[in-house]
Amino acid sequence: MLGQGARLYWAIQWRRNEGLGALFLVLVVFAVIYAFLFPGILAVGAMAKFVQGWFPTAMVAAAETIVMLTGGIDLSVGPMVSLGSVVAASTMQGPLGILGGVLALLALGTGVGAIVGAFVAIGRYPAIIVTLALSFVLRGVALLIMPRPGGFVPPSLSEFLAGSHPTAAFLLVLLVILWKLYQATPLGIGLIAVGDNAEGAYRSGVSVTTVRMSAYILSANLQAFTGLYVAAQTGSGDPLIGEPLTLSAIAAAVLGGVGFLGGQGAMRGALAGSLLMSILINVMFFMGLPLVAQYVVQGLIIVATVALPLIRASLRRPS
Amino acid sequence: MNAVLYLRRFAASYSRSLVAYAIVAILWIAASLSIGGFGAYAHLRYIVELAAVIGLVGIGQTVAVIGGGIDLSVAAVITVTAIVLPLVSFDGDASGLGAIALALLAAAGIGAVNGLGIGYLGLPPLIMTLAMATILQGLLILIAGGSAISVTNPALDWIGSTHVLTISVSIILWAVVAGVCLFWLHGTRSGSLIFAIGANPVASRLSGVPIRRLTLLTYVISGFCSGLAGLLLLSMNGQGYVGIGDPYLLSSIAAVVLGGTSILGGQGTYFGTIAGAVLLVTMTALITVVNASEGWRSVILGCLILAMLPLSGRDQSR
Repeated sequence: MLGQGARLYWAIQWRRNEGLGALFLVLVVFAVIYAFLFPGILAVGAMAKFVQGWFPTAMVAAAETIVMLTGGIDLSVGPMVSLGSVVAASTMQGPLGILGGVLALLALGTGVGAIVGAFVAIGRYPAIIVTLALSFVLRGVALLIMPRPGGFVPPSLSEFLAGSHPTAAFLLVLLVILWKLYQATPLGIGLIAVGDNAEGAYRSGVSVTTVRMSAYILSANLQAFTGLYVAAQTGSGDPLIGEPLTLSAIAAAVLGGVGFLGGQGAMRGALAGSLLMSILINVMFFMGLPLVAQYVVQGLIIVATVALPLIRASLRRPS
Repeated sequence: MNAVLYLRRFAASYSRSLVAYAIVAILWIAASLSIGGFGAYAHLRYIVELAAVIGLVGIGQTVAVIGGGIDLSVAAVITVTAIVLPLVSFDGDASGLGAIALALLAAAGIGAVNGLGIGYLGLPPLIMTLAMATILQGLLILIAGGSAISVTNPALDWIGSTHVLTISVSIILWAVVAGVCLFWLHGTRSGSLIFAIGANPVASRLSGVPIRRLTLLTYVISGFCSGLAGLLLLSMNGQGYVGIGDPYLLSSIAAVVLGGTSILGGQGTYFGTIAGAVLLVTMTALITVVNASEGWRSVILGCLILAMLPLSGRDQSR
């Protein structure tokens, strides 16, 4: 009953899963291990808590993926999340309350994204060094606003976002739908085209500058609101809370098959990558392994997931 | 005939590096005139001593970046050296040189693992070194915990405290290693092949360049130089702790880029990284003089790097 267009669409979607097989397999294995070790996770409440733990990593992985698909990279994710949490926790005390905080975060995300975009998309400077320098600036600004953890997030908001409701899960679904819609717009289609072949995209009438610019603004907004979520989880702002997220975001994206050269990979891979890391940390936590062993295992898993397909390919191809 | 070729290519990368040297010169002159004590010989020597650590890490980072890669494990390797050295000090090693050799071997070994993963398995450099950094971070906390480990190593103390003709041994060490690196990169066959790999890996492979072996060598050099930097840092600090190397990841990349080496690979020189390292330390010193608040220091440093981007050359190819 499917029309030709729909069949083509699903064929292409299916082909984009290629190379993600190993990741999905590992993910399923660990999910089964997790559910086997802790059957309690299958309850709605426990699941909601689990998704809440995963949510920030998923958000920053998505933010990093958007940028990486265009061929860029963002090394300022962690400080940006910290700054978002600090801004959220210090503006929600104001007269405008939660609305004021949300507006401030929108302004922050759009402003920072526009600055990065101006350097990378218009100035054509390497994203790696622009965001590296920007990470210093953002960390400094967060420390200036709030030298130590403090501020205030309304308890009602904390309860709504990180309480007993599965809000985070709904937000994730909403994000995936919005991402699909974005990819149906000219800007979204251009995203991967620009990353794959900027010159070709330009000749085909894609506005390379606009596509890159909006990618950075979108990404920065995701990061700023991750800050809001993290602040809601802890009930206050913290100028250093996001620091580990820079590496998590890149690791999740890379684990998910998103390439550094742009144009390779898909959002589903990055989300699966962040989910795998989240499950891993939970499993090891419940097994009583020290926190540091998680780093070691996380590193090994990243190498193994990326290396296995490479080894297989080199065995298949006689050299 | 080859010498002419090398010289010509060196001069091409040279012009970008000169910008960094010019900025250092302007900053030093302006600061010496306006801030009392800045221009004193001892203070400038102190700046170069601090730059030696970034400069040594920058050797490996420069070579990795020119070869089309990047090394995100340098900070972890520095910390490994600074923590392993006190642990491997053994009796009968009166000079402390045995422990230093073991620590450097460990550093080069980590680099070799990176090189094997990147060169022979074909892992992207960012992933391999990022994963290596994560693994090492876990192992280090497991070994050292949160406490600082003090070290008593005669050879290290000598490096940290001796001056030859009023020049610190650490600066001399940096100068010697830098000289060897510059000669290797610009004066030998294998050095120039690193540029070829960075510029076009496919063409290099088809022309018979031993990419795998050279990639392995690149990351061994990076690990070894980070190890040297860790030793210098330890000789200045007197104790090693988890996180001692952390600031040097970003500053080594910043030094490479400020020195005019293209982050895309195939272009650049360690000559510029030297200026980049001195420039970074100078800027940090100036910011500390103007305002000591950590927040402002971070903001100003970041803004300065952004402001210098137009000078350090932009990405023409995209």
